[in-house]
Amino acid sequence: MLISLDPQDTRPIYVQIVDEVRRALVLGTLGADQPLPSVRDLAVQLRVNPNTVSQAYRDLERQGMVYVRRGQGTYASPGQQGGPERRILADGVADRALHDARRNGLSVDELVAAIRNHDTQRSSEESQ
Amino acid sequence: MRTALPKRIDGGNLAVETRGLTKRFGDQVALNDVSLQVPDGAVYLLVGPNGAGKSTTLKVLLDLVRTDQGTAEVFGLNCRDRAPEVRANIGYVPERPDWGYGWMHVGRLLKHQALYYPTWDVDYAARLAQKFELRMDRKMGVLSKGQARRVHLTMALAHRPSLLLLDEPTDGLDPLMRDETLGVIADHLADSPTTVMLSTHHVEEVERLADHIGVLRNGALRAQMSRADLDAGLRRYRVEVPEQWPGAPSLNGAVLRRVTSAREVQWTVWGEEADVIQKLTAAGGTVREVVPLSLLDATLALLNPND
Repeated sequence: MLISLDPQDTRPIYVQIVDEVRRALVLGTLGADQPLPSVRDLAVQLRVNPNTVSQAYRDLERQGMVYVRRGQGTYASPGQQGGPERRILADGVADRALHDARRNGLSVDELVAAIRNHDTQRSSEESQ
Repeated sequence: MRTALPKRIDGGNLAVETRGLTKRFGDQVALNDVSLQVPDGAVYLLVGPNGAGKSTTLKVLLDLVRTDQGTAEVFGLNCRDRAPEVRANIGYVPERPDWGYGWMHVGRLLKHQALYYPTWDVDYAARLAQKFELRMDRKMGVLSKGQARRVHLTMALAHRPSLLLLDEPTDGLDPLMRDETLGVIADHLADSPTTVMLSTHHVEEVERLADHIGVLRNGALRAQMSRADLDAGLRRYRVEVPEQWPGAPSLNGAVLRRVTSAREVQWTVWGEEADVIQKLTAAGGTVREVVPLSLLDATLALLNPND
């Protein structure tokens, strides 16, 4: 699993870490019962406050995405690759798209139509 | 109604507390009634332009500067009356690392420093020296600003103090060493319970480490709060307004910045998001975008409001 932060993203860092782990779970790059990096290693790698990493891990634990083995570390919970996590991930993508649409004065219908149109165009280009 | 910017951090044990610090150098006011609260374990970022009083504040804690009024405490100890005990608990990286010792070799200076601190960790000092690529046989006096800064960082960290005072810790470092330094600080925090007070012009560099912020300008404290409060309370609103709009409604918050064009207004407001949106909408505006600010943008807005 690779965790990286987007410097342009102004959401709190612990939220970004939670999202990165969620993405890794859904994509399968973090499998069931596999360890997450230690708080210290991730803090050093990302140059973030270790408390922020701890906060993210506590949040992940509270949501059931990971579990803690005392004295050993934090591990991915089994059965997290499916429905609910995918839906939360999709919600996040939708939220960002809606935010961008609003900013540009577009309605939801216009956005959805544009996405469908764009997708169709792209797949026909790819098939050529 | 205006919501004032928070100037007090409440709750929990405090590592550092100052009350009404006031200092004049001649007719210049360096500090004007500065009352800080730094929670135990915080990474507290002190920001402000040159001459705002950041370095002076840190020096007061070390009893290197004595104020005309006010008191300062570090872990409950008065910084003036108990100065030696206070200093024993502090690791300090000065802004200008040019105090004496120019004739000493780096290696000898580190050994010399170790004698003063019972908690000096020899192995850790060696690891830091390696990371910072220190050359033990060089004389302090011939080191560049960045090299001297790395020696000071080593000296500040190696005795694992309860409080770190870092005055522009990355100033003079090349980008690679700056990045390395931030990693060393993150590593140190994971290892040793430490409170950090850090002053810097490069807010974007330490954005991910800081969890509290204090904003100084002209020697006075403009605002002080946790990152969580800052993230929750400060937003930029981009609003489409009708032509011939009569003007800003009374917002339920403190407007820090305003940029206006014919049909669009951009506000940076400290206040409850729902309240602010409601007021803007009620006045006929269409809120197009509400975004949180990066720490750098937040700092600029707090330092330099144009409303």
